Parts: sequence; structure tokens; C-alpha cells
Amino acid sequence: MARMGMVFDLKRCIGCNACVIGCKQENSLPDGVFFTKTLSEDYGVYPSVKRVYIPTLCNHCEDAPCEKVCPSGATYTRDDGIVMVDGEKCIGCGSCAVACPYDQRSQVSKEMLDRGLFGEGQLTDFEKQGYDRFTPGTVIKCDFCSNRVDAGLDPACVVTCPTNARIFGDFDDPDSKPNRVMRERGGGQAPLAEKNTKPKVYYIS
Amino acid sequence: MSSSERVVQNSLKPGKWVRSTCKMCLHSCTNLIHVTDDGVVNKIEGDPSNPSNKGKLCPKGNAAIMRHYDPQRFKQPMKRTNPDKGPGVDPKWEPISWDEAFDICAREIGTSLKEDPRKILPSLEDFQKMHIWTWPLSFGNFNCFQSAGTICGGAYHPANGYIHASFASINDVKYCNYWINDGTGDGFSSHLHAAASSYHMANARVDRGMKVVTVEPRLSISGAKSEEWVPIKPATDRQFALSMSHVLVNEGLCDWKFLKQDTNAPYLVGEDGLFVRNDKGDIWVWDAKEEKAKLWNDKTIGDFALTGEYEIAGQKCKPAFQRFKDILDGCSPEEMEKITTVPPDTVRHIAREFAEAAQIGATIEIDGRTLPLRPAAYNYYRGAQGRKKGMQANHSYKLVNFLVGNIDAPGGHLGVNLDEKTIDWLRCEPGECGMMKGEPHQLGVVPPMSYPPNEYHLLSYFPVGVNPPHLNLSVWKDPEQFGMDYKPDVMVICHSNPLWAMQGPREGWFDIMRSMRFIVCCDIIPTETTDFADVILPSSDVLETWNMTMIEPPFTEGQCLRQPAVEPLYDTKSEEEIFYELSERMGLVDSWNNVINMVLGFHQVPELMLEPGKKYTDKEIAERKGKLWNGKDLDWYIEHGHSSTWRQSKKSYRPWEGMRLLFYIEDMVTIREDLKGKMKEKGVPFIDQWPWDDYQPLPTPDLDPIHLEPPEYDLYGFFFKDIQMNFGESLSNPWLKDIVYRDPVHTSILLNSGTMQAKGLESGDIIRLESPHGGPIYGRVAGVETMHPDAVGVSNSLSRIRTENRAVRHAGGHFNDMLPYDLKNTDAVTGQPETACRVKITKVDDWPESLKQGGTVYQMVDEIAKGKGAH
Amino acid sequence: MSNTDAPLVGDSFKLGYRFQNFWDVPMATAFFFGELGAGTFLISMYFDFIAGMILGLISTGVGKPFFHLTHMGVPAKSWRAVLRPDRSWISRGLISIMVFVPFGMLVVLDQAFGWSGGAFLGKLVMFVTVAAALVVMTYQGFAMSHSSSISLWNTGLMPVSSMAYALLSGSAVTLLLASVLGGLADADLVMLQKIFLGLLVVTLAILLSLLHAAYHGTRGGQQSVTLLIKESFSLPFHGLVFGAGIVLPLIALWFGGTTLVAVVVAAIGVLIGFFSYRVLIFKAGVYEPQISFAARLGLR
Repeated sequence: MARMGMVFDLKRCIGCNACVIGCKQENSLPDGVFFTKTLSEDYGVYPSVKRVYIPTLCNHCEDAPCEKVCPSGATYTRDDGIVMVDGEKCIGCGSCAVACPYDQRSQVSKEMLDRGLFGEGQLTDFEKQGYDRFTPGTVIKCDFCSNRVDAGLDPACVVTCPTNARIFGDFDDPDSKPNRVMRERGGGQAPLAEKNTKPKVYYIS
Repeated sequence: MSSSERVVQNSLKPGKWVRSTCKMCLHSCTNLIHVTDDGVVNKIEGDPSNPSNKGKLCPKGNAAIMRHYDPQRFKQPMKRTNPDKGPGVDPKWEPISWDEAFDICAREIGTSLKEDPRKILPSLEDFQKMHIWTWPLSFGNFNCFQSAGTICGGAYHPANGYIHASFASINDVKYCNYWINDGTGDGFSSHLHAAASSYHMANARVDRGMKVVTVEPRLSISGAKSEEWVPIKPATDRQFALSMSHVLVNEGLCDWKFLKQDTNAPYLVGEDGLFVRNDKGDIWVWDAKEEKAKLWNDKTIGDFALTGEYEIAGQKCKPAFQRFKDILDGCSPEEMEKITTVPPDTVRHIAREFAEAAQIGATIEIDGRTLPLRPAAYNYYRGAQGRKKGMQANHSYKLVNFLVGNIDAPGGHLGVNLDEKTIDWLRCEPGECGMMKGEPHQLGVVPPMSYPPNEYHLLSYFPVGVNPPHLNLSVWKDPEQFGMDYKPDVMVICHSNPLWAMQGPREGWFDIMRSMRFIVCCDIIPTETTDFADVILPSSDVLETWNMTMIEPPFTEGQCLRQPAVEPLYDTKSEEEIFYELSERMGLVDSWNNVINMVLGFHQVPELMLEPGKKYTDKEIAERKGKLWNGKDLDWYIEHGHSSTWRQSKKSYRPWEGMRLLFYIEDMVTIREDLKGKMKEKGVPFIDQWPWDDYQPLPTPDLDPIHLEPPEYDLYGFFFKDIQMNFGESLSNPWLKDIVYRDPVHTSILLNSGTMQAKGLESGDIIRLESPHGGPIYGRVAGVETMHPDAVGVSNSLSRIRTENRAVRHAGGHFNDMLPYDLKNTDAVTGQPETACRVKITKVDDWPESLKQGGTVYQMVDEIAKGKGAH
Repeated sequence: MSNTDAPLVGDSFKLGYRFQNFWDVPMATAFFFGELGAGTFLISMYFDFIAGMILGLISTGVGKPFFHLTHMGVPAKSWRAVLRPDRSWISRGLISIMVFVPFGMLVVLDQAFGWSGGAFLGKLVMFVTVAAALVVMTYQGFAMSHSSSISLWNTGLMPVSSMAYALLSGSAVTLLLASVLGGLADADLVMLQKIFLGLLVVTLAILLSLLHAAYHGTRGGQQSVTLLIKESFSLPFHGLVFGAGIVLPLIALWFGGTTLVAVVVAAIGVLIGFFSYRVLIFKAGVYEPQISFAARLGLR
């Protein structure tokens, strides 16, 4: 039993989106699909302005609405808290996608897989070795690189982040990196906490 | 096992990891390349064993797989069959054999070579392969058609050479507590090893609480993460730095000990700007204790005077420091605000905080040496250095550091070497009269001055410089004015895209290209430049070849190995094989080997030297570079990937110990007079046009010509990149396009909201920009709060033009069309051109016809904005 | 204040509102046919109007599945949708349909041929059918309101509106069919018309409450309602949902009574209004930007 989660250190994040591409590499994502995105937002009026870079990804909620609404049981939570989608069970109804307050789900289409990353209908060797994991019509999302977690590694986005703004670990382990950093920095904010999904991703600043 | 539990993540599929080095920008973070058992590259990660990037990669490094598998990669040599050349004009390539390709190239290049070796115009711009870059030296040709020296470091490198005897510079991230970034993205978005410097910068800010202040006209990533953003009018950073120096000097916030002992600030300077010397050439100083003149090396000097006016043998003179103080009298924050728009209170509080953080007088023990600890430093680069008065600008930033004594001190402003070649190389050599020898020629020897000029870009007239390749266009337009006695007619281009990078009107550069009798391009994918080639020689890419490189790592030293992860996908060759083949056919192998021995430093170790008559592979050259560094052979590098370690403290900190730094650059006066003399002697006709005023041994607040343009051009235009695009071509890469064209700063022309409203514009309007030098370009405007009111920002994402590369999207024209390329806007000292321009904005109702044709950036942005999500 | 206060940001990497695009016109059409069918069946059953009951069963039993299959990502696996009635309203709804249609047919047969002979079994079958129809009529609304994600949908009024629209459109179709085919006594027609009018008013009230609740709920809800009332969807929303769907039928029935013309205009108006509502309530659904925490970071 564990509760895998992530902490985003907004003081570190530089919005470079290396994580986005590291994830696309790791997961052979088709064109237009993102399992993680880093947003930016400007605040204030010149010259007193600030910009914040805000990494986002599936929050692997403890009370995951996507799991609650899934009619086929394709969405489920592993023992370690990672919310997964079983592509073989998914019927592509999209209920999970509209149930997620964070808009973190994507639907794979045949057109996407045929079009390819260069948009010319020819797949690169990279895509050919990667696309067979996707069933067209199903809904997919970040799975915290579950294969890597099983192998004792951090997710691809965490590993590549140049500023170490993404901190991954087990919230059930008091000594895990996310727990330690939240203690050091005086706690963190859950995104859209009022939606009551109990996200396992926190933001510290 | 259900489908979602089988191995789908690429890094875990059966395969092997290969240690190598990234090439998505010009720097050398090391990486790990995963190749599946089926021979497909399916993941690239950073190498955690490298103390530089520590397993991290920036977005570009993460996207390398899509460069490798780009369907538009050149797959075999080709020759053009369509005589018409132009942007987006189909060359109608016909595949040919390598033999035929080499035949044609050797014949065409050889023909011009025999007639006049100067007729070759090369653009060979791989910083990771200086041996290819310097191939033209094998036939004595110093011509240069690439952008290196214009946009990036034309004045930056010579200034670093004078002050640190180094190529680049950076603040000491290990100890610094107060870091100023002026016109640079170091540590956030660009310049030295973006992934590595971001990593170390984040740790310094978050773990050690280092404070960052960013001075820039647009709130970039650096500004966004800083404790304070100082918005500044573009092209006024020199005046800002001088106003900071004014506060430091006038409030006594200086490291007097450093200035007196470690610099030539006390050296007496006469009214002619030269040091006052005795007849043996020794320089005089003033002993303030005994109140008399003494020679610089007099051991009885009690106190080196920094101020005052004195007379020696009837000659009025002042210490160099006093001359700077005199200049600073006119540079108060109030005075400089009129130019920079930075409020005087801001300048004062930053200068005071800076000085306080510098802990003048503090020391630290490092590796057995007691060193000054100065944890405050002023860093700068692209946006601040790219001025017409570039040398003065760069010097002014250095002087802020000088004043608090942090030059090459722990926590301070450090010199960074390009490629040290051997592990024990110390870059600083003694010069005359106790001073360090300034080394402005950081990219190699400048040829002797010649008239008629041997170099089409007049390189020999810039003895301090890097390269002024934009002058090729000036000279082209009026060769008689410059007395040219030849005209280049062959271009040899490798790993370079000058038609995207050069400044001045595209049409002018196209004309030059069209007038060439023969153009050969050695590249991997189609670009603006390959569109004009007669022959394409396809090179193998970074996952298919060997190399050994050290390229200005900011905090580390050592060589990084590139080794092939896979066999070449197509019928391509390494650049070394290509150039050796051409050289052999043109009888240049021996002279090129001599050049390589010098340039790569093999001459230091006779066993490593390339022998006459032999051709070498990329692997053999890589092996030698590795051995030269630390004696280890290639097998060692294959296993370890690199020999990168944190830079030795003896190299980082005061490698010039015992020598005096060049606070005052007398060279500016001597070189000016020397050049003037030579020009007079040779009867150079453009001697009166030459901007002699540029040569200043200390920076002045005199305005750059950009500020004197006609007032109807009421705004200042500049371009910028970010970490997705710096130092490389990335906009043909689908993964990088994904993140660039979703970032709001890269999808519109940025204008301050207030300014936009005042002009009666709205976000989304189509506008036309033009400068006194060129344009127009078109674009969609966005009003933002993160821009200085006088500034217009155009991301490089909007400056591709139509090319044969179907993945690249054009926007509204190339920003660089609006930049000057003439002598008047070039630094006579370094060859640096002005890289910003005054612009005026006009609203237009619709795009011009030429921009309505498909595949524009704005169409992609609109699709993204419609946001159908992933469906 | 955030500089991008309420923009729709599409797929760009800005903080802002994003449309949900997963449930689009095919899904809306399926929902339309599902609720229309259940409502028509129930209203028709109340008036013992067999033609209406059959039409209702066809609407729910054929129309709805057909459009669901066009929407479904993996249609061949759609049968899996019944597997999680313990937690998913989709599963519950589908099971209800699988009960409603055959049991409804039995009720029709009983009505037509009296196979139960008035025995308790016949009443049980009818009871089960009604229960199933009630679920069919509301489950889609529950499915939408189940998650807090889309504020416009996250209200108990959503299943209520589903029921209201189901009964409203059911009355409309029943009245139309009965007026055209005959088979209902005049008194029944008058009563049906009164029920229709009453449901029009009730539906209007529910619609207004729904919009009010969303507008004053969250910023996302406010954005959705603004899109419907003032911005890009305002023309079809005002014109079709209110205009054709509520006002036109009210006027037609008030002044036209049970004349054929009035009934046809009113019924078609309601159907247009209901269908447009279904489509627009999907299209205007937006995801909340995650700026709620930014305020606590002292950035506003």
C-alpha cells in the first residue's frame, strides 16, 4: 500500500516544458496528446507584474471522479495509488474525461495514429514501435510512468526536469521527498480543492 | 497481465543505453540514448553522472529523436535540376552518387580555389567541431558567411578575452547570493548549457536563497523568476550599468584593495589616452602615501592612488580610475534615467544591495588558497551585448563587477573557457608591465590588415573582433567603395543556416546566393539555406557519428564524447569523411591536418598529431581530443561518456593571480592608431567612414545610433528566443513546435498594453512593422503587461520564412530584415552590429497576399486556440 | 487580477477556460432520444395511448443506442458499459434501458391484447417499467451532475431538468401524435394540453434556476452561462432554447388551443428547443482553470 503523488515547486519551475517532451518520448504520445502541460500566467499591471509557470498533470486523485463514473471499470486505482486506465476495457464513452475537473484526459483517435507526428501520414520508426499500446477511441492519461515506478524509477517528467521542480514519491512514507519538501516549505496547495477529488498533487511556492 | 500493466514505457523496453552528448543546441550536455533490440532509438535522457547537467535535459535535448527520424532528412547526395533559386522554390533535386557529388564539388570549389582562394565564401558553423569550422584556413581563406559574431557574441567574446582571457563569462553559481542578469537568460532559458545552468541556478535560488535581479525590456523567464524585474528601454543597458557604477563609486561602495592591487586602475593615463611610460616602456603610478610618481613595480609604493590629477615630465595625467570617475560624473541615475527610463531609486537600491551582498573584504578558503569572497555579480549576454557600441557596452558591465572586486572571485563574475583542450591549461598569460595579457581573439587569429581587403566581410579591419559577417552584404552592394578586387563565387556551407540567422534584408542575401556559381550544402534537413544549394551532401546526424567536445560549460570542465547509437539511417557520411574526401581531391589534406593540429591542440602532444598524407575519421579525431585532455583512450570514454568534473578552483578563481586585470583597455587607443596608420599608408578610401569614435579605453554614456533614428520610428523592436529555441534550429521538430506555439509569448508580436491602446490597436489586430533599415514584416499583435512601453518584441518563432521544409511554418516575415548591416551600425572595434532597431507600427486590415498561402504560424495557433482537445 | 481573466484558451499553455469536447452532438442526440422516449412512453401510458408508447420505446430503444454507438470510441466494446452499476450512472442507465424497453413492450402488449388479464403480474410489469423509465429519464442528468468537474452541470437541477424536459417533450410528442392520428378523447387532449403548458412553465423555471446556480457557483459556471447568455452561444440559446422551445409553444397553445396548427408548432418548437438545449449545454461546458490556488499564493 502506498500513495504515490507529486509536489510541484513553483519557485523552481521555469516553464521550459522539458517535462512535456520527456513524457511524449517516454509514452510515444500521438500528435496533440499531452499527459502533462506546463501553463503560464501573467499577473499584475506594468511594471508590477509577475509570471507563474504552473506544471499540471493527472492528479491521481484519491477520490477520483473518473474512476467513479467509469461504466466499464477500465479506470481503476492501483495499490500504490496510481490511477490507471486499462485500454482493453475502455469503451471510449468519455465519461471520465468530462468528470475530471482538471481536464487531464485525452481520447486517441485512429486519425491521430495515422496522421503521425509530422502530419504527413507516414510514421517514424519511433512511432511504429510505440503506437501499438494505444487502442483508437480509448481515453488515455498520465499513469505516473507506472512501468518505471514498478522498476523503482521516477517518472520521465521528474527525471528530466532541469530545475527539479517535480518531486515524486509516496505520501504514505513520512520520509519521502514530497513529504519532506512540503514540511520544509510549510505545506502545499491542492489544485481546485473545492472540487473534493482529493488530488495527490500539491503546489508549493 | 492486463494491457495497462505490460511494458509500454519506452525506456524500459528491451534494449541498451549508449552514453553520448546532445547536439540540439551548440553546447554539450551529456545524455543517455536508449536503443531497442530492434535498433530503434526510443528514449533520450540526461546523463546523471555529469556534474554539469546532472541527468537533466532541456526541451530541445528531449526532442532529439524527432530530428533523427525527421522524414525530410536528406537521404542521399543530390543535385539541383531547377536553375531557379528562391525561398520555397522547388530545387527539383535529383539523387546522385557520392562519387558524382564529390566530383562536382571538388571541380567547382577547386576551380575557384585555383583562380583565387578568396573566392570561396564558407559558412561552417559547428561549435562542436572547430576542425571543420577552420577548414578554409587550409587554403588561407578567412572569409565567413555565417552569423556567429553578429547575434551572439561579436563584442561579448573580445571583452571576455580582455578581462578574463576567456571566451565567455558567468556568475559563480556555487557561492553567489545576489545575481544580476542583464539581457540574458542564463540559468533560465538560454546561453550556457541551458539544462545544466537551470539546474544549478534553481538550487542556488531555492536551497541557498540566492536573489536574482533581471534587467530586460521583456519579462522573460529570468525576469519571471527574479525577485525584481527592472524594465529597461531596449539598447540602454550600458547607460544603466554606468549609472550603477556611478552609485558604487560615489557612495564609496568599492573594493579599493582589489582595484589598487589587482587591476591597472592606478596606472597613469595621459591626455592622449595612453599610459604614461618612461623611455623603457614602464608605466608610472602615483604613490599617494609619499605623494610622488613611481614605476608600477616599485616595491616601495605605500598606496596606489586611484584618483587625482598629476603631472609627470610635463605631461598631465590621471590614474585610469580617475578617468572612469570623470566619465561617471555624467552618469548619475537621474541623468541616465532620461535614456534608460529606469527610476533613479531603483538604480540606487540595486547598487546598494549589490554592494552589500558583495561582502567587500570577506575571504574564503578554497583548496588551500585564501580567496576574496564576493557573492554578488552582474551577468549579461545577448540582449545587452548586441550593440553598435558593443565593446563599450560589454566593458561597462564588466566594470560594475570590477568595482566590487568580484572578477574571478568566489561568488563573483567568472571567465568561462571555450575548449581548454588539456586538463591543466590555465588561460591567463602575463602581459607587459604586470598586466594580464588580454586575449580578444577568442575564435582564432585575425589575418593581417590588407587593402584591397582579402576578406569579403573586412575581418582584418577588426583586429579585436570575432567576425562581422553581416558586412558581406554591405560590401556586396558596393564593392568598389571598399576597393574589392575579387568577387566570391562559390559557397561551402556546413551545419549552418545563414539565411535564417543573418541580419539585413532577405532579398539582399538571396541576391548574393543567386549570384554564386556554385553552392554546396552539407546538412541533415532542408532549411532556408539548403533551398539555394546546387549540391546537397547529406551528413550523418548526432546519433550516427563520433565527436569529442568541450564547449564553454559554465561550471565544469572536461571532454564529452559523442558516439554513434545506431548505424546511419540513410546513405549519409560524417562531416569529417566529407571534408577529407573533398580535401584529398583538392590537394588540401596536409594543410588541413596542420590546421587541425593547431586548432584542436594536438601539436601539444606529438603522438596525437595528424600526419601528412593521411585522412582521419571522426572517431580518430574524437579519440585524440579525449587523450589530449586526460590521457584516456576511447574505450575509457565509451564507458564513461565524458571526463566532465567540476571546474578546478585554480582555473575558476583568480587564474591570473599576481597579474593586473585590464580595468583600462589601452589597446583601444593603440589599435585605433595602428589601424588608422595602416589605413593611411595603404590609402584605404573608406578611412573617413570608419567609426573611430568607437575605440574607447573606457565606456562612455554616448548614445548608440539606434537612439538617433527618425522619431517617426517611435518604438524599439527586438527579437528573443527561449529555452525551446536557443542556439539551434528547432521549429521543424514536431515536439518543439508543440510547446512553442502553445506558449503565448511565441505566438504574437508583443506590445505593452498601454502603448497598444494608445495606438488604437487591439490584441489580435494585424500590424505592419518597419524600421529605417528595412522590412516591412507583418504579424498579429498582443497587448501584454510584461513589456516596456517603448518596446516591441518578436519571438524567433515568428521569423522563419517559406522553405522546402514542409514542417517549418512561416509567419509574417523575418525580423532581421529590419536590422542594419552597414558600417555605421557596426562596432569598429569588434565588428558587432546593432541587433535591435527602431520601428513604427501600422495597422493593416488583412494579411498581404503572399502571406495568405498555407501553413502559417498563425493558422497553427488558431487551430490550437480552437482547442478541440485530443480527439 | 490575473491578466487573462476569463479567456477561452483552447489547447494553448495558458491558464484559462477550456471547452469540454468529449460529449458533443452525437452524445447530445443520444441523450435527446433517450429522455424523449422515456417521457413520451410515460405520458402516453398515462393516457393509454399505444402509438405514443411504441414511439417512446423506439426512441429510447433504437434512437438512443444508435447515436451512442456513433459517439463511442470503441463501439464494439460498448457492452462493457453495464459493468459498474455500483458506481456509474451510465451503467445504471443502460441497465434501466435494458429493463425499460422489453418491459415496456410487455406493457404495450398488455394494453393492446390484455395478456395479463388484470393480474398482479401485469401491474408488477407496469410498475417495473415506470421505475425503469424514471431512471432512464433522469440518469443522464445524474451522469452529468455526478462530477464536480463541469460547474454548469454540477447541480441537482441537472437530473431535474432532464426529467422536466423528458416529460415536456413527451407531452409534446404525445399531443402531436394524438392530434394527428387520433386515439385520445377530447377531454384527454385538453388535459394533455394543460399538462404541456404546466411543464413549459416548470421547465422554464428550472432552466432559469440552473443558469442562476451555475452563474453564482464558480467562475467556470459563470463563464459557461456567459457563453450561453451573452457570448458565442447566445444566439442559438436565446433563439432556439428559449424562443422556439418555450416562448413559441406557450404562445401557440395559449392562442391556438388544441387546434392542429397550434399543436404542431408547439411540439416542433419544444423538440427544437430541447435538442438545442442538449447540444448547447454540452458545448458550453468548460473546465475550471487551476487559478483558485493562485490567490492563496498572493498573486492576485
